[in-house]
Amino acid sequence: MTWDRRTEDRAAAIVGRYPEKRSAVMPLLYLAMAEDGYLSEDGMRRVAQLTGLSNAQVQGVASFYTMYKRDGVGEYLVSVCTSISCMLLGGDDVLDAVAAETGVADGETGEDGLFSVEHGECIGACGGAPALQVNYELIEGVTPDHGRALCRWLAENRPAVVRGDDLQERFGGRRSFDWGPVEAGGATGAVPAFGPLGTAGEGS
Amino acid sequence: MAEQPTLVTITVDGKPAQVPAGTLLIEAVKAAGVHIPHFCYHPRMKPVGMCRMCLIEVEGPRGMLLTTSCTTPVADGMAVHTESDTVKKAQEGVLEFLLLNHPLDCPVCDRGGECPLQDQTMACGPGESRMVEEKRHYPKPIPISDLVLLDRERCILCARCTRFSDEISGDPLIEFKGRGNAVEVNTFPDEPFASYFSGNTVQICPVGALTATPYRFRARPWDLEAVESTCPHCSVGCRISVQSSRNQVLRFMGVDNGPTNQGWLCDKGRFGFEYLGSPQRLAAPLIRNADGVLQEAAWSDALDLVAERLGALAAGGPDVVAGLGGARGTNEEAFAFGKFLRETLGTNNLDAQLGDGLDARLLAGITARGTIDDLERARTVLVWAPDLKEELPVLYLRVRRAATELGARLIVVHPRETGLDPVAAHTIRYRPGAGTELLRRLADGSGDLAEARRALGEGPVVAIVGRPGAGDDPRLAEAVLAFAAGLPGATLLPVTRRSNVYGAADMGLDPGLLPGRVAAPAGTGGRDAAGIIEGLIAGEVAGLVLLGADPVADYLEPARAAAALEAASFTVAIGLFLDESAAMADVVLPALGFAEVEGTVTNLEGRVQKVNRLLPGPAGARPTHEILEDIARRMGGSIGAASAEALAAEMAATAPAYAGITWEALSWGEGRRGIVAPGPAGSQPLVHAPEDHAPPPVGRNLVLHLARVLYDQGTLTQAGPSLAKLARPAAAHVHPEDATRFGIPAGATVRVTGSGGSVELPTVFDPSLVAGTVYLPLHCGASIGAGLEITMEAVS
Amino acid sequence: MTQILTTRMEAHPSDSHTLGRYEDTGGYAVLRTALAGMQPDAIVAEVKASNLRGRGGANFPCGVKWGFLAPSRPRYLVINGDESEPGTFKDRQLLERDPHQLIEGIILSAYALGVHHAFIYIRGEYPRPARRVQRAVEEAYGAGYLGRDILGSGFDLEVTVHLGAGAYICGEETALLNSLEGRRGEPRIKPPFPAVEGLYAKPTIVNNVETISNIPWIVGNGGAAYDAIGPEGSRGTRMFSLSGHVNQPGNYEVVMGMTWRDFIYGYGGGIRHGNALKAWIPGGASAPWFVEEHLDTPLTIDDVAKNRSMLGSGAVVVMDETTCMVKAALRVVRFFAHESCGQCTPCREGATWLQQVLTRIEAGAGRDIDLDLLLDISDNISPGLAWPPAMTTICPLGPSAVSPITSIATYFKDEVAAHVHGGGCPLG
Ligand SMILES: Cc1cc2nc3c(=O)[nH]c(=O)nc-3n(C[C@H](O)[C@H](O)[C@H](O)COP(=O)(O)O)c2cc1C
Ligand code: SF4
Ligand code: FES
Repeated sequence: MTWDRRTEDRAAAIVGRYPEKRSAVMPLLYLAMAEDGYLSEDGMRRVAQLTGLSNAQVQGVASFYTMYKRDGVGEYLVSVCTSISCMLLGGDDVLDAVAAETGVADGETGEDGLFSVEHGECIGACGGAPALQVNYELIEGVTPDHGRALCRWLAENRPAVVRGDDLQERFGGRRSFDWGPVEAGGATGAVPAFGPLGTAGEGS
Repeated sequence: MAEQPTLVTITVDGKPAQVPAGTLLIEAVKAAGVHIPHFCYHPRMKPVGMCRMCLIEVEGPRGMLLTTSCTTPVADGMAVHTESDTVKKAQEGVLEFLLLNHPLDCPVCDRGGECPLQDQTMACGPGESRMVEEKRHYPKPIPISDLVLLDRERCILCARCTRFSDEISGDPLIEFKGRGNAVEVNTFPDEPFASYFSGNTVQICPVGALTATPYRFRARPWDLEAVESTCPHCSVGCRISVQSSRNQVLRFMGVDNGPTNQGWLCDKGRFGFEYLGSPQRLAAPLIRNADGVLQEAAWSDALDLVAERLGALAAGGPDVVAGLGGARGTNEEAFAFGKFLRETLGTNNLDAQLGDGLDARLLAGITARGTIDDLERARTVLVWAPDLKEELPVLYLRVRRAATELGARLIVVHPRETGLDPVAAHTIRYRPGAGTELLRRLADGSGDLAEARRALGEGPVVAIVGRPGAGDDPRLAEAVLAFAAGLPGATLLPVTRRSNVYGAADMGLDPGLLPGRVAAPAGTGGRDAAGIIEGLIAGEVAGLVLLGADPVADYLEPARAAAALEAASFTVAIGLFLDESAAMADVVLPALGFAEVEGTVTNLEGRVQKVNRLLPGPAGARPTHEILEDIARRMGGSIGAASAEALAAEMAATAPAYAGITWEALSWGEGRRGIVAPGPAGSQPLVHAPEDHAPPPVGRNLVLHLARVLYDQGTLTQAGPSLAKLARPAAAHVHPEDATRFGIPAGATVRVTGSGGSVELPTVFDPSLVAGTVYLPLHCGASIGAGLEITMEAVS
Repeated sequence: MTQILTTRMEAHPSDSHTLGRYEDTGGYAVLRTALAGMQPDAIVAEVKASNLRGRGGANFPCGVKWGFLAPSRPRYLVINGDESEPGTFKDRQLLERDPHQLIEGIILSAYALGVHHAFIYIRGEYPRPARRVQRAVEEAYGAGYLGRDILGSGFDLEVTVHLGAGAYICGEETALLNSLEGRRGEPRIKPPFPAVEGLYAKPTIVNNVETISNIPWIVGNGGAAYDAIGPEGSRGTRMFSLSGHVNQPGNYEVVMGMTWRDFIYGYGGGIRHGNALKAWIPGGASAPWFVEEHLDTPLTIDDVAKNRSMLGSGAVVVMDETTCMVKAALRVVRFFAHESCGQCTPCREGATWLQQVLTRIEAGAGRDIDLDLLLDISDNISPGLAWPPAMTTICPLGPSAVSPITSIATYFKDEVAAHVHGGGCPLG
């Protein structure tokens, strides 16, 4: 299996950024996820070919990290932080609200494939607790009501690109610090939007 | 001789001890008589310090430091404590942690009785679990290959198996998966653990997480009887422990013989014992009756008949009878066979090989014969030989280790990709037939071979040389050996097939050789395998004795071999099975086989090792030397074979190279690792002048590369159910350019026609070949002969 | 008040992350001067003189670590931006708001260390910081600060930004290197230390984002100037991430030496709703907790250590009187159990077991022996429950899971007992 020309070119560029091609496994796994919407077996096979590893080794790496979703994932992955700082300020309630609104339990993906909901460990937003991420785009200072409204809005508007600034503006509250100017980019799936050099997502 | 390690002084639990410098503490204290419990540490793999069982205390500048003894190298003056309260508490803690999620199914676990976790728990484990929560659960054993099952609940995550397959065998098909408490060992979906070495993981798994289908539930360790022996499957001669229960061999275990197998076995060796207990084993002599049917007969009748017929034929002159075989048994059997043929029958028509090896005079004459252990010190390794992974798997492991762990530069010359290519610094490909030309260019270092040539100038060099494919002229290998002998610090390891070819050559089973590596006097005459087969067809040879040889299946031109047996006026086959050749014989005599007789074998280094007896064998089968002696007696002679041991003694007396290599010497201490019979002194003789070898022209048309794969249709492989199912369907490997040239679509079936016949096979595109070459596995279903030139056409 | 790291972002909130603003405010001037006139060794000497201690958690003196770098080449510099310790979000701000400060620090450090390829490893959940850094790296390439022959000095440097994928353990430097090599993020056995055998088995320096962000200031103002700030052993300024039940959570760049009371009640604006303080974590989730009696302890690396805890990653998590200590401990233990790499037995099995026992206690199914059991499990992970911790594990993650246990066993035994006897949390 190979990817389309553009993706293959990006893959080659990624491999070129490292002294040894094995190092490209992680960004290539993101690329594979961006390609299929989740990390498929074929995606892992392609990454193995590109890095000279066995399929089992690639699976070994992929399964170590929580962000490589091997079992399919919804269009919007809502990760609610319930680590210590967010827990102290009501993160559990936000999680309950999100689960109730979407009808998707913690750790699950809805049948329509729209939402996946998960509790996350600390996402580095403790100053703006409780916080959550949608496709790894951060929203700080989220109340249970905000969480519900956010999910409703996503379901109704189905944005193709999830922009953190936009969601923060609509549903966020206190921030850990001033984020600076609004950014245009955002995530196009459950893959972190980082990739001017082709890592994953579009970014900006 | 092994170098003496320098010693340093440490104190272990207050007692001073002299231990080898540079070793890990766990080994150092072992040398001082202290055993530290451990699970993940394995002396043949890099330490990882994962299980934490081997914690001990070391005195340091800032007080006692709890540290893993498997990862800490000893230093002079170190004071270590292996029994302090802190150490005990820590070890008991680790043990408790390991047991939290480990099932209590020892009574039904294959490892029960030989499990370090069980032993450790009995010795100092907690009486009862303090954990009231549920254990981790997984579905019970899952098959991860045709041979291996994995029970993840029993796994203690020591990573021995995954490290073996990554570090040692180089096929990382099993890996850790998941993280934290969810870590498990597993394969990739739909990609089984189909490694040639998978059985090693079963052996080194410290618990019963990995089990082998051929052994599962067959026995309890305490019911097993065992002897140490030498694997009979190839000429590496891996040291094994043969284990049986109720006269059935149940498993082979690798024994860590440092100089050869370092504890490892290939799966063909490990699981290739099932044939011994096969119901198809011959259990009574067979005589062809008046209707032409082989029928069971009494030993005395069979022996009488053989003596009478052979005697009558031999009376017609020394050239009328001949013997083939003797390369699969012991040296004692080979020696007896040689004496029988030369002294009793008076013939010099004898060959242990079937035209598919190297000249026996060459094997016997190599002066710079190396040892496998030379690979530990080699700077450069040249492999111009069969694909070692397919034919000498454990030698492949040793070469791989040299290239990956020890930094040797590996040069692989072969007509297509081999198992060693991924770790080779240089891979050189050629078309069969063009090897002489390639050798000349390599020797000159011309063009793209300059780098490889430069590496060959850096010694010590180990050269592993054989015939890469059946069609390669043996004189090419001879020329390569002659070239390699001139490289700096070179030692040579010649490669041929069948486990005891070297022993057979040393015992003189070749028209040009007498026992003990002595050249037969000039003008002795005698036919080799090809000469015997052609002689039979021409009617110049009439009587044939086969000893564990099956030319109808194994000879490179099988049709000629079949015609030869057809033409023979009398054939007697001595062996274990009614193979294709025996089925054509007039008399078939059942012999005892591996683990049923005692003796010695000689591996490709010239290392003589003991094989031992554990089983009686089928009631009707007899030891080969006794069979031969009984025939000789009936013919009025004797080969003096009172016992195998007596033969061994005579052999040691006759053969200077074997002087002192007695059964006694091989049975104790260092002798159990084998004794290398020294090669001849002087400079490397050439059996053939280089100009003898005029390679056939290799034109635009196709040439054949015919080579063996590990799991084939061979009799011994097929007689055991576990290995029989591993043989893969054969395919014709075609270079994509040739596919275009001959109009062969992907996946099409082709008919390949060679010197000895045609075969139809599905195609596989193989860009690793040089265009103009077709690769077929030997034993690919039909025989096509070994001639270089072939034709190919698409069918259907 | 002395500020080193956050001046630009405070003064220019709208564009502190851009090359233009960075240059306008004096950025890359130090680099120009250094490349033109300083020998690499001179930079190392300034960093040594500064007594800057690493900000990644272990507080190891930066200059001393640089001194361990083995002579062989190539060698690498890896910036640890994996920041995943619960409570910590300071590196996120430095990455997002002033990436050029970090990049200038990287170039100076690489020049000093003879490194020609540096990596910035950023946790996967930080796409925005990663985007900002990546863009800044590209700007720096464009302006000739990165790439070949930087500013005509003949010095070459490549920088690769690498995204993690959700594994706290990759913050541990050797796990980070494995991760960067495309392996499972499992910590390696030490020795060898990365400075001798690191990335691709070559000498490697791993430093935290904040540590390296200080380098331009130190090289520009001299090590002595940095060493003049703050109390001995805790020189310079330091970023603290304050969160939990305080009125003013956030990142604060402070000169160490004040008391905890001043920090929590001054910077933090006191406890929410005027509630009473119950406990706080002084240095990230791995650190044993402080309580009331520590309020007047000075906030320095050494004073915290003397009180059997650590300043660690600089994350301060404050808990008020309404907090259930069993639940809080469980949440921290759950984190470490989830983040254990799983390779070594005591951490993999022990942390999970601790989590299971705490879960039972929180659910009201605790037994009298459970606190002792928790302590004994802890003792088998961290023998003697000493401070700094001894360990039966490969890396300090296992012992980190022990901190909440010893904390509640020391200060909140009664609350644990109340859970056991009352069938659940007494606070409702
Ligand atoms: C479990 C664990 C997690 C760690 N996480 C981080 C981290 O997220 N960021 C960081 O800079 N250092 C982290 N460290 C410390 C690093 O191992 C290393 O000491 C540090 O990156 C060195 O940089 P410094 O000397 O500049 O502090 C962690 C250590 C451990 C044991
Ligand atoms: S299967 Fe056996 S060898 Fe492999 S990790 Fe588990 S316990 Fe170790
Ligand atoms: S044997 Fe030392 S840690 Fe496993």
